[in-house]
Amino acid sequence: MRDDASTVLEVRGLVAGYQDHEVLRGMSLALGKGELVTLIGPNGHGKTTLLRCISGLVRPSGGEIRFGGESIVGRRANEIVARGVVHIPQGDLLFPEMTVADNLMMGAYLPSANAAAETRLKEVYELLPALQERRFQIASTLSGGERRMLAIGRGLMSGGQLLLVDEPSLGLAPIAIEHVYSVISSLRQRGWTILLVEENVNRIIDIADRVYLLDAGRIVWEGAPHTLFDHQELLEVYLGS
Amino acid sequence: MNTAVQILVSGLTLGAMYAISTIGLSLAWGAVGVLNMAQGGFLVIGGYAAYAGATYLGLSAPLALALSALAGAAVGAATYFFVIRFMLDCDNFETNVIIATVGLALIFENVILQAFGAYPLRQPVRIEGGVNIAATYVPYESIAILAASVTAMMAVAWVLARTRMGRAIRAVSQNRAAALLMGVPVNTVYLQVLTISGVLAALSGVMLSTITTLAPTMGYDPMLKAFIVCVVAGLGNMYGALYAAFALGILEASVQFFLGVRFGFPAMLLLIILTLVWRPYGVFGRGVTQRF
Repeated sequence: MRDDASTVLEVRGLVAGYQDHEVLRGMSLALGKGELVTLIGPNGHGKTTLLRCISGLVRPSGGEIRFGGESIVGRRANEIVARGVVHIPQGDLLFPEMTVADNLMMGAYLPSANAAAETRLKEVYELLPALQERRFQIASTLSGGERRMLAIGRGLMSGGQLLLVDEPSLGLAPIAIEHVYSVISSLRQRGWTILLVEENVNRIIDIADRVYLLDAGRIVWEGAPHTLFDHQELLEVYLGS
Repeated sequence: MNTAVQILVSGLTLGAMYAISTIGLSLAWGAVGVLNMAQGGFLVIGGYAAYAGATYLGLSAPLALALSALAGAAVGAATYFFVIRFMLDCDNFETNVIIATVGLALIFENVILQAFGAYPLRQPVRIEGGVNIAATYVPYESIAILAASVTAMMAVAWVLARTRMGRAIRAVSQNRAAALLMGVPVNTVYLQVLTISGVLAALSGVMLSTITTLAPTMGYDPMLKAFIVCVVAGLGNMYGALYAAFALGILEASVQFFLGVRFGFPAMLLLIILTLVWRPYGVFGRGVTQRF
């Protein structure tokens, strides 16, 4: 566990769930500035819930979340994004009846983001040229890969330091997955701190700095991605591979 | 010719009133999932506010109208602060809101009943006189209602399309969680939508009471018509509601003229049945596709 001044995000003893079903049972992790950290683990064991707690979509029932040294636990999602936490949610959650350009501009809704919108829009179009070509197209008519790109581009329009990316490869064709991961790598080079949820270990071996393995609402292992293969038993137990 | 003009004038006036009653209802449902059963109560309060302003405070018509709009805004905002706000995080929000607002409607009706009595009153805020168009007498009132409702609807459309608040409302209506993640203060959007919807209802209450009378229960009929428009258009579809309101107004006026007044409402109900059989999601609505 990191504990120095460069810590961007720190989660401690987080407990959360839906109704009477507890999903997170004392989850703790930390991210340093500029790190790309991956959360892996079986389906339904709290990866998405953790991201939703950090971004404020789910209110945890216990524990602490600190971003940039300040507690953000229990704050509303719209306040948390204003502090610089960008969540690119599972399933994209686009605004289906808006054009690509309008979706992107919704990303710059906050006054702080709106001021920088033009510059950021240029950067997003540079990074994801397909979006510029389709800027007048209605979001619901995009292909799966394009939708994912739009979700990422829209998140980038908000500006911030921490990017939470939830299963960006979900439901995409292999070539689109490759593209998504090349985009994520380049985002990391641009200085974003990234917390990435992924099911497929092989995808993240080469790009992640660290891996947290999550099971039943707790972190059960933490380490460098390649050392994961030294622990065949972990892979077998938790990921079945 | 004469008949056609008569039907058209009467149909357009009815349509304009249906449209403005519907638009608040449709906005609240489409944008924030609030099916406001107290919309009729908003409308009654707006009508009586104008009456009270003109009668007790001696306000001129424009000022009485402004007071009515203010009362509508206040009631809309109060509905958010005292009812909706506490229900936002509960399960089955949309169903619970229907029940809660039915309760509100009863409260509004009885407060008005206590304050003004059950006896129908004449709305003093009105425009007298009229003009002859193609040998048909057209009251200025009808022209004013048509103009006011078209203006109000254009204003709402402009706010939704062009302003930051409108963009936020559209975002919340299309995906609430995503809007939150973009930094949209979703609770504020609920407040804004209910306030706008209150203003629209109050103004429609004034208009309605000028061509009928003020009564504590006068909100139910336009609300019923507004639901009919919503069903025909597709609930939550504002532009569809606009077309449907005018089409229904003209249909009702024609049926009343050719078949008799008492067939106007049954004709609308028949249209609902046909719509629900032919297109259950409304003429302008779209079927809901669920992806898994």
